[in-house]
Amino acid sequence: MTDNAIPGAEQGADAAVTPRAPRRVHRARYAALAVAAVAAVLVAVLATRSVPPGSSVYTPLGGKQAPAIAGTTLVGGRHVSLAALRGRYVLVDFFASWCVPCQDEVPQIERYLFENRGDHGVAVLGVDIDESAGDGRAFLERYGVTWPSIEDPSGAGSVSLAYGVLDPPESFLVSPRGVVVAKIDGGVTVAILDRLVAQAEAVAGLASARQR
Amino acid sequence: MNGAVGHAGVVLALLAACAGIVTISVGLATRRDSLVVRARGYVYLLLAGLLVATGAMEHALVTHDFSIAFVAHDNSRETPLLFSVTGMWSGLQGSVLLWALILAGYIAFAAHRFRARATDPVVAWALLVSLAVATFFLALMLGPSDPFAATVGAVPPDGTGPNALLQDNLLIAFHPVFLYLGLVGFTLPYGFAIASLVTGRVGEGWLSETRRFTLFAWAFLTVGIVLGAWWSYQELGWGGFWGWDPVENAALLPWLTGTAYLHSAMVQERRGLLRVWNISLVIATFSLTILGTFLTRSGITQSVHSFSSSGVGPALIGLFAAAVAAGVGLIGWRGDRLRSPGSIDSPVSREGAFLVNNLLFAAFAAVVLLGTVFPLVVQAIDNQSLSIGRPFFDAFTVPIGIALLFLMSVAPALPWRKAAPGVLRERLAVPAWIAALVLVACVAGGVRGLTPLVAFTLGAFAASVAGRQLVLAARVSRRHGFGAWRGIVGRANGGMVVHIGIVVIAVGLTAATSFAHSTELAFHPGESVRFDGHVLTFERWARIVTANEVAYTAVFLVDGARFAPGIGSFNGSAEGTDIPAVDSSLVDDVYLSVGNAPVSPRPGQGVTVDVYVQPLVMWLWAGGAVTASGAVLAAVPGRRRRPTDPSSAPPPELADARRVPAATHA
Repeated sequence: MTDNAIPGAEQGADAAVTPRAPRRVHRARYAALAVAAVAAVLVAVLATRSVPPGSSVYTPLGGKQAPAIAGTTLVGGRHVSLAALRGRYVLVDFFASWCVPCQDEVPQIERYLFENRGDHGVAVLGVDIDESAGDGRAFLERYGVTWPSIEDPSGAGSVSLAYGVLDPPESFLVSPRGVVVAKIDGGVTVAILDRLVAQAEAVAGLASARQR
Repeated sequence: MNGAVGHAGVVLALLAACAGIVTISVGLATRRDSLVVRARGYVYLLLAGLLVATGAMEHALVTHDFSIAFVAHDNSRETPLLFSVTGMWSGLQGSVLLWALILAGYIAFAAHRFRARATDPVVAWALLVSLAVATFFLALMLGPSDPFAATVGAVPPDGTGPNALLQDNLLIAFHPVFLYLGLVGFTLPYGFAIASLVTGRVGEGWLSETRRFTLFAWAFLTVGIVLGAWWSYQELGWGGFWGWDPVENAALLPWLTGTAYLHSAMVQERRGLLRVWNISLVIATFSLTILGTFLTRSGITQSVHSFSSSGVGPALIGLFAAAVAAGVGLIGWRGDRLRSPGSIDSPVSREGAFLVNNLLFAAFAAVVLLGTVFPLVVQAIDNQSLSIGRPFFDAFTVPIGIALLFLMSVAPALPWRKAAPGVLRERLAVPAWIAALVLVACVAGGVRGLTPLVAFTLGAFAASVAGRQLVLAARVSRRHGFGAWRGIVGRANGGMVVHIGIVVIAVGLTAATSFAHSTELAFHPGESVRFDGHVLTFERWARIVTANEVAYTAVFLVDGARFAPGIGSFNGSAEGTDIPAVDSSLVDDVYLSVGNAPVSPRPGQGVTVDVYVQPLVMWLWAGGAVTASGAVLAAVPGRRRRPTDPSSAPPPELADARRVPAATHA
């Protein structure tokens, strides 16, 4: 209980350790070295991080055919589908009414659509996830969203499941051929959309040039 | 005025801390005990300085002194008195002040408690390390996180007010305080761990000095985590209480390693084993409190709680690096010489079970840490970001949790050193029958699904093992002439109360997540709907206006009792905040949330509510209370073991003769 007892205990430790095989002796040192290395990497990673919002991120869907999306719009009740938008770039935007960046990105997307209006501009398809249809509808009406948005079907037909979406806002840029070309984590901005569409066009141009 | 007094307090505290460090260092280096003793005065001065600073901050908040930027940002004239007082920890700068105040309080407590042994190098080094940590936080307050910084430009007539989520619920007054009391409480054990490595006295002395201290920190942290979950349940409007958010993980990580330590410390006290491991756990626990603070306060993780990012990030990661480097470096230097001589005799023994417990808790912590930082690591390697959510955490933590429940059932019944064949059968027979009965009752009662059935059965098993130990301890205690109440006091018995509390939480968690039902219901005034066994009637809209809040609430009758979820806006903000209403009972909770209320509903207008019905949610909070009480009971000095009493199972041939006393010693 008190420190008086300790010197004896330590002598016991020394006496017991010394006669043993010396190769066991450095175990704590190696463990400490390993932990130090891991901790150093962790610190280095954390110390250099700053999360740029809305950057393009990895998705296993990249370069693959985009999973189908179809449904009736929350506002207006029209039928929309990703397949029907083939031939244009489509921004599939997963949102929820309770998510603040989702509110912030609405005017950005509106501005991008306005700046690139015309037949070959980008189409936007919203998917409301993680909530009830009423909340999503109220959100669309409150922020005056003009593009079609559907409610994410629950269960096996869930679109967010197919796209691997967890935390809205997450968006996917789908090429005119229906291939996922980019995933955006966080709110979308005009600059990001400009850059991603330009990149996608450049890649597509390169690909078609190679084919010829 | 407030700003000047506050700054003066912080500067005084910083000078006192530095003076304390210098005094102890010089005293230790020159072996002048009188100097080391004198450091205690500086510790009290440190506390005094921070009390002055805190007083100035509270005075500024209560009198709405908007010449201080922090007050202007986190307070307004309409903020009620209580939320003005708690406003100190509703922003970063004030939180750092609270952190420093609590740390100074702990250091002063330690300096006072160990005053008779102030010249003992272990105590001196522990104070030195803790003072160094305090110096860090004081320097933060004079640098990137100044709580008393003056408002830039003209003093505004009114402040912005605290975040709407932070001024609606009483729990917010207590949750951060408990959390900090817990997180900061691990500083002193860290100090003692470092001290024992530096002085080479890594035996059982430092451990028994800090055990009770660690226990209190752990209890505070437990209460803090449970209150946080309760707050987010009542306030955030999604019917959930835990989202594996970085800020939640930040509090859970030190709790996990701290729990592991509280268990393995017993192996060291009893058998002298696992010395270096225990020190490592204490170092890890403290380092994780700092890492967690960094993750939540630096703004690098995307969190629902994300606080304003600020300059404290680099400083905190620096402190984390220093804490880990000091600990790891010392272990690398000293560890091999300090390792204990013995080894665990048999895996089927109490110490073997503690070892498995430690491995499980370490794995749990590793999973949570990995899930929290993995997105950042991936981003560093690949410049891509990904999010890790509930599926990842559930996939790993549910099996670990089940394994821990199983261990909780068996381990308390295992004797030290080696279990004789008959012992387990005898000790586990009744609890196993109870568990089997619960399993049958659950199946008969319609419970389906592997995880819930396993969790409920093992929960019953673990709880009845713990209950059996308590009953036996009470019986023995009475026989020895003490009151039966002694049976729940002391480490082993209090620990069993903690186990029961954890089982209650585990059962509540399993039930609430496995059997939740939710829906969206639309009502006209006067309309009744039956959902999941509850009758909900919408009566009318009500408008509630207070000094700082305007709220529209939908008045509901839930099984005859009145509840009013609504949307509130605070301090004239246009942004509405969900105010859920919960009808709680021991059986289930009916949780109502008006996700989207009309801006100003007409009297006859209908309402759409999200309804969540979750069973046994209240068990989470009750279990938290039981757990904390158990930890306090465990800290009370128990009945001293009589040297002649057996400390473990007797040899089989004696078992019949001394049957009852042998079975009682946990």
